[in-house]
Amino acid sequence: MLLPIFTLKLRHKIIPRMVAVGRYDGTHPCLAAATQAGKVFIHNPHTRSRNFSASRVIQSPLESDVSLLNINQAVSCLTAGVLNPQLGYDALLVGTQTNLLAYDVYNNSDLFYREVADGANAIVLGTLGDISSPLAIIGGNCALQGFDHEGNDLFWTVTGDNVHSLALCDFDGDGKKELLVGSEDFDIRVFKEDEIVAEMTETEIITSLCPMYGSRFGYALSNGTVGVYDKMARYWRIKSKNHAMSIHAFDLNSDGVPELITGWSNGKVDARSDRTGEVIFKDNFPSAIAGVVEGDYRMDGHTQLICCSVDGEIRGYLPGPTDIGGNLMDTSVEQDLLRELSQKKQNLLLELRNYEENTKAESSSPLSEADGNRGIIPANTKLHTALSVNLGSETQAAHAELCISTSNDTIIRAVLIFAEGIFIGESHVVHPSTHNLSSSVCIPVTPPKDVPVDLHLKTFVGYRSSTQFHVFELTRQLPRFSMYALSSPDSSSEPLSYVNFIIAERAQRVVIWLSQNFLLPEDTNIQNAPFQVCFTSLRNGGQLYIKIKPSGEITVNTDDIDLAGDIIQSMASFFAIEDLQVEADFPAYFEELRKVLVKVDEYHSVHQKLSADMADNSNLLRILLVRAEDARLMRDMKTMKNRYMELYDLNKDLLNGYKIRCSNHTELLGNLKAVNQAIQRAGRLRVGKPKTQVITACRDAIRSNNINTLFRIMRVGTASS
Amino acid sequence: MDLNLNRADYLQVGVTSQKTMKLLPASKHRATQKVVIGDQDGVVMCFGVKKGEAVAVFKTLPGQKIARLELGGVLNTPQEKIFIATGSEIRGFTKRGKQFLSFETNLTESIKAMHISGSDLFLSASYIYNHYCDCKDQHYYLSGDKINDIICFPVERLPRITPVLACQDRVLRVLQGSDLMYEVEVPGPPTVLALYNGNGGDSGEDLLFGTSDGKLGLIQITTSNPIHKWEIRNEKKRGGILCIDSFDIMGDGVKELLVGRDDGMVEVYSFDNANEPVLRFDQTLSESITSIQGGCVGKDGYDEIVVSTYSGWVTGLTTEPVHKESGPGEELKINQEMQNKISSLRSELEHLQYKVLQEREKYQQSSQSSKAKSAVPSFSVNDKFILNKDDASYSLILEVQTAIDNVLIQSDVPIDLLDVDKNSAVVSFSSCDSESNDNFLLATYRCQANTTRLELKIRSIEGQYGTLQAYVTPRIQPKTCQVHQYQIKPLSLHQRTHFIDHDRPMNTLTLTGQFSFAEVHSWVVFCLPEVPEKPPSGEGVTFYFQNTFLDTQLESTYRKGEGVFKSDNISTISILKDVLSKEATKRKINLNISYEINEVSVKHTLKLIHPKLEYQLLLAKKVQLIDALKELQVHEGNTDFLIPEYRCILEEADHLQEEYKKQPAHLERLYG
Repeated sequence: MLLPIFTLKLRHKIIPRMVAVGRYDGTHPCLAAATQAGKVFIHNPHTRSRNFSASRVIQSPLESDVSLLNINQAVSCLTAGVLNPQLGYDALLVGTQTNLLAYDVYNNSDLFYREVADGANAIVLGTLGDISSPLAIIGGNCALQGFDHEGNDLFWTVTGDNVHSLALCDFDGDGKKELLVGSEDFDIRVFKEDEIVAEMTETEIITSLCPMYGSRFGYALSNGTVGVYDKMARYWRIKSKNHAMSIHAFDLNSDGVPELITGWSNGKVDARSDRTGEVIFKDNFPSAIAGVVEGDYRMDGHTQLICCSVDGEIRGYLPGPTDIGGNLMDTSVEQDLLRELSQKKQNLLLELRNYEENTKAESSSPLSEADGNRGIIPANTKLHTALSVNLGSETQAAHAELCISTSNDTIIRAVLIFAEGIFIGESHVVHPSTHNLSSSVCIPVTPPKDVPVDLHLKTFVGYRSSTQFHVFELTRQLPRFSMYALSSPDSSSEPLSYVNFIIAERAQRVVIWLSQNFLLPEDTNIQNAPFQVCFTSLRNGGQLYIKIKPSGEITVNTDDIDLAGDIIQSMASFFAIEDLQVEADFPAYFEELRKVLVKVDEYHSVHQKLSADMADNSNLLRILLVRAEDARLMRDMKTMKNRYMELYDLNKDLLNGYKIRCSNHTELLGNLKAVNQAIQRAGRLRVGKPKTQVITACRDAIRSNNINTLFRIMRVGTASS
Repeated sequence: MDLNLNRADYLQVGVTSQKTMKLLPASKHRATQKVVIGDQDGVVMCFGVKKGEAVAVFKTLPGQKIARLELGGVLNTPQEKIFIATGSEIRGFTKRGKQFLSFETNLTESIKAMHISGSDLFLSASYIYNHYCDCKDQHYYLSGDKINDIICFPVERLPRITPVLACQDRVLRVLQGSDLMYEVEVPGPPTVLALYNGNGGDSGEDLLFGTSDGKLGLIQITTSNPIHKWEIRNEKKRGGILCIDSFDIMGDGVKELLVGRDDGMVEVYSFDNANEPVLRFDQTLSESITSIQGGCVGKDGYDEIVVSTYSGWVTGLTTEPVHKESGPGEELKINQEMQNKISSLRSELEHLQYKVLQEREKYQQSSQSSKAKSAVPSFSVNDKFILNKDDASYSLILEVQTAIDNVLIQSDVPIDLLDVDKNSAVVSFSSCDSESNDNFLLATYRCQANTTRLELKIRSIEGQYGTLQAYVTPRIQPKTCQVHQYQIKPLSLHQRTHFIDHDRPMNTLTLTGQFSFAEVHSWVVFCLPEVPEKPPSGEGVTFYFQNTFLDTQLESTYRKGEGVFKSDNISTISILKDVLSKEATKRKINLNISYEINEVSVKHTLKLIHPKLEYQLLLAKKVQLIDALKELQVHEGNTDFLIPEYRCILEEADHLQEEYKKQPAHLERLYG
């Protein structure tokens, strides 16, 4: 049994995920963590902290070995590490919704302080790809930015949605680090510098990522899932009703391979084997875990695993000695194995007895109602499932439909569907009332996103009066574009927007792709190329046309730029296309984007004006205060009163100004996000190299504020015509 | 002194009922004892442990489920005759496994509890108590509510025969012959009785009881009146008590109290100077502990606590140290034994797996033919649905002999499912279209591997009634599920009590009409929990209830043709009136309903609610302030500048937060 080698109780709260250990003076490891009221505390148990004189750092009134750093804004991310290799000690990096601060704790000075418009939700420090100097990479609203130690912006790219987690990991095994980005649209993207090399779709927001070793990395989702990926393949995952607050890779059993350490919201810490997910160690804290880090906190040459709880409790664990065979739990392995085997035996015996009873039941009289009560059904009962598109009625919106029916007079008592990402929870239940029971059930399914989903069905089959039911388990896949119904072409409603590209595939293969990704009626018969198919979206009634010419030229007409991107990406992976240049035109969307860009400019100028106003007002404020105090000293109560009245009014103005600034800022952020997303979408219309080219070119166009070039790039894929 | 116990699993039998495992007294030349256990397949098994391995002494053939197992024998000799209760029959076996007695009682119901003392046999079915002497009927008693356990004080120490029945309606009934001597009210429905120290203590009249809501107590039952000695409340919200034993596991010459609970908790209490119990040791075994006894089974010279669990595991918690601390040679030997055990199990498994595969194929083939039938394998589910007095919510506990895969909870009344710390299953709420399918709640619990026990917490609203259904699917092939139904009654938050405050202002609802006693009783059963289903004997009856949430009370007195319900809470009366008239209309019975509304009662009830509401509001306000105050504390360095009220909040912060956490949404519930 592994016991903590040290336990500390700090009287400061710790904000989840914002804990880092760094050697800010080059030798002594200190723990830095974000706490309440926009402060960061630094726990330094090794040297009596000198009395800092600067305004930013103050001594904590509660503990002598804790100093507080005033950020005056809610901290949104925090890390520590070597930013300037020449300096020889670690820097502390603190991100907020508007700024990034690189701070030199030892000298009590700022290394740099940069304004970041997209905010900093996540931060990671290290070297990326071929960029030689270490970068502090922050992820904000759809944007990624990397700064070197001088605050120079050396890396910038966009991603699909708000970034929630970042990690650096050698994903493709070339010795250089790639950037893993987990974002709000459930995707983990891998950036090789600014090129996306891989994309994995998960089932919830990715809250944490951590590199394990080699190309392996751990991840955590907001629904309580943690797991391990090796490259694109998921090794294992487990789901808990609690949330994983922090994950970290650490070799706790000294077998040379790091385990995935997870800190949970219920205060549990567990270490799981990277290969199987089997728990090899666990411990409990009285409150939620805020962060899991590692460091040589006792300065004895051994690295410890350090777990912090939100209430400020800190425990350090040394890796177990190698000779205990990886067993860190207190019960003996043999005992557990024995119990497990015995349980297995018991299960098999039970199953055997079930079959015996079954044969007994078989030999008895023919089926009667009484048998139904005991749950006896004809052995040849089969379950049919069918997926189709339902165009809906006045009372019900259009949806995809899953029909389940039994092959005889047995009834379906209930259907449980376990599928991720398409229901509110992880499951959906259909439980008809007793007088509505029948042998078939139709379940409407409306996936919110165009992703293929596996539906795991559990159907309870029996008779009306049964108290025991048979459970039929089967899995059906919902195709990616199940929310589009085949309709008859009507040229008048053809969308103006289109994408146009050429692929070297036979038309039959395109038909196969169609039938795998859409819910086509069974009698659909598609003739040879050229042909065209028309679909109607069940979500908003939008039209989708796919036309193919004998030359292999494909035109997709839709007003939905995301859908066009999804279709291209899906085709590219189906036909294994590596590079694809696409010509695209989305007049409506581009017009909207143009408006957004104009608005961004407006908001920027408003922002500047408001800032200037505020500076003026604060000057005035100071003057008024001095005057009022003067009046008070001179016992001129009337003037004092007037001054204070003025002060009060001014204060009100300032508050109002602040509110305007706030709403202006949120608007700005929303618009910036739209711009970033537009670039991302333009990229998604292409595959491979053209994709990176488009993103880079768009970024340059935005930097140089050349809107017309931006649209040309989005249309044809390159800046030069 | 610290108590260190190490777990050793001996073997697994079928599913066991409460109190079905005993240790045979040690014979003269051997110090280790043998274990005898009866399971629900009807098998009685006796085994000893040799070198860590269980060696069977005898094993009977399967039969009806065994409800109880006791040891007996001629008084003042070793009690080594084995008696089992199965169905309505009592069987006796010698310690070698020879059956010497088969006694078919004339009870129509199956036996639920049994106690043996010399040639006296005390039996109880659901409501009936019978006393036999040398298999001859002596005494008989019909209890007002279900009998959970039965015991009799040692006849060799007391000059009289005093059987005590533990009844579901929170009373212990002390009998004399066929007559009730008196009733003792206990804080919860008693589930188990045991003699203090194994012999009734110094007086021979000391009785231990355990309740289904986890309380434990000691009462001295004298000839005239009961004397309550002590009581342990269930502060940690642990499970109900299923078995109690007294044994000196610490070796200090005083017997400790061993307790097994239905959430897998094994506890050891020792007694301090004032003879008050103190918890010395606890360990959890993840499934219900059905029987517990102290003795020496595994190794000569090391005492242990032997427990049996619901799924049939016999496990020892032994004082013998784990092999790591023993000598180097011995460790090897034990490891060797372990290895042998594992390899023999493995080969057995392989054999079984092969057999199962064959059978599975056969089963698959049979599904092709049109005539064949497919039966659902039955599995037993141990379920409990009880009202917690402390937070006025229901606990639903489901336990299956194998691992649970998932549980679907469906309800046709609006209820809230609360989170329980102990349960690790992933819950997912499904949307429900309530109008067409009568679903107000659909939720699935997907269990983690090896979960055999699931605990849920449910909050109901008084006045809205219906059924809650749980579909339990375990991880066995072929996959099946079992439905269990639980009634949510109209006055679901009421609890039976035996004394009420008669001075409160009461509203009265009087029913008269052409209905029988059984009919009016069935209506009361329909409305209120904890009422025996069988109509009580006699002309009429009075039950008292207390509202666990608001502390209001209800008195119901009824007989043939008349029912009178009195409560200080007017909404209780109105709910009763609605439900009763609906029920009567269903049976086409004409009811005359008259009320007597006491205006003072409204004020009185509001006064009852007021302090609670105020307290909760204040608590909520204080908890809201904690974070802000803490921030100030960090900012300013000390708390001297705060007013005393705020300083007080800061000091009590942890306590306040804990209390607030304990009663989630209590405030909203009071608002209604």
